[in-house]
Amino acid sequence: MNCEQIAELLPDYLQGSLAREQAHQVEQHCEGCATCAQDVVMWKKLALLPTDQPSPDSRARFDAMLHAYPTTSTDRSGRLPRRALFGTIAAPWAFFDWLRSPLGAVAWSTALLILGVFIGTRVHVGSVQAPPNEIAAMHAELTSMRQLVALSLLQQQSASERLQGVSWSGLEAHLDPQIQSALLHTLRYDGSVDVRLAALDALSRHASQPQVRKGIGDALQEQQSPLVQVALIDQLAEWRDPDAAQRLRNFQQTPNLNPAVRQRAEWAISKLQ
Amino acid sequence: MLQVRNGEVEMLGVLFDRYQAPLFNFYSKMTQDRTVSEDLVQEVFLRILRYRQTYRPGTTFRTWMYQIARNTRLDQVRKVRPESTLASEPNAPFSLSDSAQHQQEAALLQRALMHLPEDKREILILSRFQELQYDEIARLLGCEVGAVKVRVHRALRQLREIFQQLESGAPGTDLHRGSGDSIPPTRRVQ
Repeated sequence: MNCEQIAELLPDYLQGSLAREQAHQVEQHCEGCATCAQDVVMWKKLALLPTDQPSPDSRARFDAMLHAYPTTSTDRSGRLPRRALFGTIAAPWAFFDWLRSPLGAVAWSTALLILGVFIGTRVHVGSVQAPPNEIAAMHAELTSMRQLVALSLLQQQSASERLQGVSWSGLEAHLDPQIQSALLHTLRYDGSVDVRLAALDALSRHASQPQVRKGIGDALQEQQSPLVQVALIDQLAEWRDPDAAQRLRNFQQTPNLNPAVRQRAEWAISKLQ
Repeated sequence: MLQVRNGEVEMLGVLFDRYQAPLFNFYSKMTQDRTVSEDLVQEVFLRILRYRQTYRPGTTFRTWMYQIARNTRLDQVRKVRPESTLASEPNAPFSLSDSAQHQQEAALLQRALMHLPEDKREILILSRFQELQYDEIARLLGCEVGAVKVRVHRALRQLREIFQQLESGAPGTDLHRGSGDSIPPTRRVQ
């Protein structure tokens, strides 16, 4: 027999599970083959490794673990002693054991998902059926809150906050009288040119209101900033009010008027005629 | 084990008395560390208790226990790998009655064993010291009996080569000690 054939028998020979005849064949081969013989020697040599004994307190540790287990564990085993105590009374719990298997986990996860979708659909339908007056009340509340925020911001020291206030006031389609008054006041007296221009922009969206048109016309006389003056002139020319031309002529008479502004006023008057 | 599975957890003590020594030896040969081995034995019995419902009647308890033992060891290897050092030499307890030559050979054997890749060391220890038959090891590792025999033979041959290199005393002998990476995939019991 060659080494390859012996290699198939050797593991069983080493464990002593080979028939006597085959064992003899292995031994005969090993007499003439140093490699295989050394393998056998190595196997036998492993017996030199000592057999250790665990320390005596190992059993005590195990007992402590066993004693503490039912109260500290969180898995099903905590219930098992009770099952033993109650015998068949607790047996119905075993019916739910399959829920702990992966298949069970998939099953109850799917059930929960379906339940969630069902509840979600019900809640959604419920919200659609809410009384319309409730929605209207909520909308009114939201509008008044926006106005409050806008008015509050328009009173702030910081120009950027007042600018924010102007943009908040422009969020509503309908211009509240309080907001209108605040914006007109801002257009006339605000210290910042940017804020006044923003207020003009916000007011220009409400051209249908005569008070806004009048307020803008009146503001022209009180403006000192050429930028705002030009913006007001443009706005009046765009609206083509009947008294706009007369207002602009009066404005032209203002002493120390910026030449560019005066020129713009002339252009607007020519356009209005 | 069936009694333990059915709720008589106190009966686990009987199994502990019977198997703690072989299990401890399995671990001490795998790790060369008494403390770690004792901890692993405790962990195995805790897992037996925790997962006792997965024990199927008709299967050999010893095979099932070694499956848990292997998984416990795998988890321990993963946990300690970042800190593991190859420089530490195993602490080898010997009885004083051993002759000096035997002591020396046993020390060399232990070193050679630790230089063997983890999977080869494991299969050799299981077949040589744990009194497991090849068919039991095949069930444990989830492979054919023939494959187990081939692997045992290869492991033995590699061990012999390492042992001979160590015996020749070549100081610069570059022996790659086995690592957890070489552990073959195994079926998880729990």
